[in-house]
Amino acid sequence: MGFLNPINLLWAAALVILALIYLRSRSRPTISVSSLMLFDEAAAPVTRVRHVRIDPLFWLELAALTALVLAVGGLYAMVPARAGRGRSHALVFDLGAGMGARSDGRSGLEEARKRALGLVDAAPAGDEFSVITYALEAQVALPQTQNLDAVRGAIHALQPLAVAAHPSALSAAIMRGRGSSEIELFTDRAPPARALGDAKGTTPLHLHQTEHGDDNVAIVSLDPGAVGSSRGRAVLRNFSNKPRLAEFQVKAEDREVFHNTLMFAPREQMVVPFGPLTTGGLISAHILTPDAIEADNQHWVYAPANQAGHALVLSPDSAVRDDLARVLLAINPNLQIETADPAQFSTQKAGRPFDLAVMHDCYLPGISTASMLLIFPPPVVPPAARIPGLVVSAKNLPVILKPVHDMPFSVGQSTILPAVRGMTLPDWMDPLVEGTTPGESDLVPVAAIGRIPSGRIGVIAFDVRNRLLLDADRLDALVVVINLIKQLTAPADIQVVPTGAYVDVPVAGSAIVTAPDGSRSQAEADKWSRVRIRPLQSGHYAIESGTRIVEVYANYFDASESDLAPTRAATLSPAPASFAERSSSRAPRQVQPLLVVLAGLAMIAFAVESVVLIRHSALWGTGHV
Amino acid sequence: MLEARAFEPEFLKKLDRLVLGIKRARTVRSGQRTLGRMQGLGIEPENFREYNEGDDLRFLDWNTYARLDQLSIRTFRAERQVEFTMLVDASASMAFPESDDKLGLALALAASLAYVGMSDNDAVRIAAFAMRRGNMQLDSSPFHRRRESYLDFRPFVSAIRTGGETRLGAAVDSLLHQRRPAGIVIVISDFLVSRTDYEDALARLLAARHQVKVIQVLGQIESTGSYPPGLYRVRDAETGEVRETVFGPEAAAACRRKVDTLAQAVRGFCTQRGIAYTQAFGAHNLESFMERELPALGVVR
Repeated sequence: MGFLNPINLLWAAALVILALIYLRSRSRPTISVSSLMLFDEAAAPVTRVRHVRIDPLFWLELAALTALVLAVGGLYAMVPARAGRGRSHALVFDLGAGMGARSDGRSGLEEARKRALGLVDAAPAGDEFSVITYALEAQVALPQTQNLDAVRGAIHALQPLAVAAHPSALSAAIMRGRGSSEIELFTDRAPPARALGDAKGTTPLHLHQTEHGDDNVAIVSLDPGAVGSSRGRAVLRNFSNKPRLAEFQVKAEDREVFHNTLMFAPREQMVVPFGPLTTGGLISAHILTPDAIEADNQHWVYAPANQAGHALVLSPDSAVRDDLARVLLAINPNLQIETADPAQFSTQKAGRPFDLAVMHDCYLPGISTASMLLIFPPPVVPPAARIPGLVVSAKNLPVILKPVHDMPFSVGQSTILPAVRGMTLPDWMDPLVEGTTPGESDLVPVAAIGRIPSGRIGVIAFDVRNRLLLDADRLDALVVVINLIKQLTAPADIQVVPTGAYVDVPVAGSAIVTAPDGSRSQAEADKWSRVRIRPLQSGHYAIESGTRIVEVYANYFDASESDLAPTRAATLSPAPASFAERSSSRAPRQVQPLLVVLAGLAMIAFAVESVVLIRHSALWGTGHV
Repeated sequence: MLEARAFEPEFLKKLDRLVLGIKRARTVRSGQRTLGRMQGLGIEPENFREYNEGDDLRFLDWNTYARLDQLSIRTFRAERQVEFTMLVDASASMAFPESDDKLGLALALAASLAYVGMSDNDAVRIAAFAMRRGNMQLDSSPFHRRRESYLDFRPFVSAIRTGGETRLGAAVDSLLHQRRPAGIVIVISDFLVSRTDYEDALARLLAARHQVKVIQVLGQIESTGSYPPGLYRVRDAETGEVRETVFGPEAAAACRRKVDTLAQAVRGFCTQRGIAYTQAFGAHNLESFMERELPALGVVR
């Protein structure tokens, strides 16, 4: 319906034409004269010309016809929707780590569950519900349904995640709930106004803010230091507005190296030194005193053991070979490093397998190595290369380094690398650092790492000639190289990642993934023989594939999410507890046609017109008009 | 259109006996600015004088020099030709009231006077001014001298269209910028314009040594205010301004008073400056106007 319908539009046009004809007939005749100065002394009319004279009969007729046309065409208005008649509700849950915060033995999510179940129980028959969750991203846990048992089941299945709730995810969740009559938002903190977008104007949004205390101490970071030489340190923060005691423990491979009870001032951040560690390996830190959020009470880090290893450095430039050898020795002084010019190096003459092979501006296939780092890789790679999918262009361009989000390290904004080869990364490689060429906005990969069953491969696109790694103005380049070497020399069966990051684990066939809560699931390998998981809980994941087990430790910390200081709901008022209260206070509004109202107005206009006609006929003594 | 009458043979016959009432210079005299002076150029020899340095060698009498061994310069009688310009107002006000055909009357008068002016083989042209796209435009026909070429005016006269506001001052500016020798300018307009505009324009024509004659043209209806009675919205043809007016006997009388006032103002200025002024109110008066009014006022004789 509406005036997009040609018939209705025709009715409306006819009405407009009728009014125009009337107004035209009522208008004064206009004549053009040579000059108005000839009429300066002519008398002007007492009143101004009135195009629209008082003609009650015409205007009543026009009003009645207008009402009928609008009724036929379809005029709609926002009117309160009647409760219990097919209303739909979107239950949007915040699954950020803050919702898992416990206070008085109950978490925020449990309180939200209770409120949501209360709403579901109180809903009139015929109402529909959908369950939408958000943290890193929005997900529809249960589409719109009238099956209240399924709704209750979906609500019971919700679990808090050890990640921060992103405002963009909240926006996406609200966008998915906009088709509903109402949105019920369950969260522990006031949503930012920009995250709500324009949902407030179209769909009523009710905020259910759960309450919890601010009793939380978190491990911010853990640095193992250099094994046997420098002390490690842990950074802890008290998010409470009150002084707090926290029992803190550091373990190295299940052996306790530090245990103390720390006294925190309100909202104090404390650096706790420990060590130096005598042995490398997996280091874990724990806050043993229970507090609101468990996820940030544990932290893992891998301390390189500085075991003796065998590394190979190939470069046509002797200065580059020296620089890279120095960097490798700085990372692990126990490395035995062999350097060579690729033109004079023979793979057959190489002895035992290398732990790491670093190749600068060259590529020699057939080198037996556990990990490989290609720096400034050559554009032409032999067909037998073990880097499937990697394409390198021969063109060298300057690149401005940009930080990469969600990466273990990032670099400064303004470092310019003079010669960078363009690379097209295969799917199995993840970019670690990217940059832009001057004048362009597209990001180009600068450093990347990939894990496939044959080993780990790192690629750095920039050239390190001319003492680039020792250039004080380009320390970011050195940081990129060091971090990539550290990742390549870390044990292959242990990975420490932040929660929410993707983890690629080379497997053969399928794998069994064991989550920190003990749940097990099967994952199939992709075409690169990798299993890709995304840890959303903090703790230990185990990925079993055949006889091989890869340990993944997921660390959680987010300063804003872990900060449980009470936040006020500044943008939304708390929602009424039940639909009964809500219907009595502010009912949702829906568009409804005004057919009956308009038809009634038309009838009233016709009736008044008839009365006027009857009066005129009586006044003039005529039998009809 | 009324201007077609000016090219009818019967009408032209009545104009054959009329000549324009102007004063001409008889001889060329150095330093004397008299109407018709042509800077000593001509074909009729007048006198000889002794050669002075700087004289044009083309006028040196070589025969005298050969016989008498004296350098003599021949002088000539100037041609007594006078340039006539019929300056017609073609502003939008000349098109209203449509039934009065004021523009047709003005063009017929201009063409008729041009025909009269050609009786003495004088150079005659018709110029019309109007606003075109916001700018004042002065359209002028070529000069014609012989009556055999009188019909050449007809395409120009037929092509004139009205438009825009009356800018008599700007039109006179354009005319004077052509730097023609002083001649006779006959201004034909309804003069429904501000007093300062036409007074300034006519004064500048006089200052340029032109002999100026003025014919004020008004329609029969607007000069008598004989609009059909009733309540009307009247729109100014030039400015677009709209005013509501009740037409009737009183309004007609008021219009006549206003027309008299305006005409009196123009006449008073012309009388004061020695400009021949006459009125042509109503298109039906064309023949009588040409035969009686113009001779009586000295425009023609």
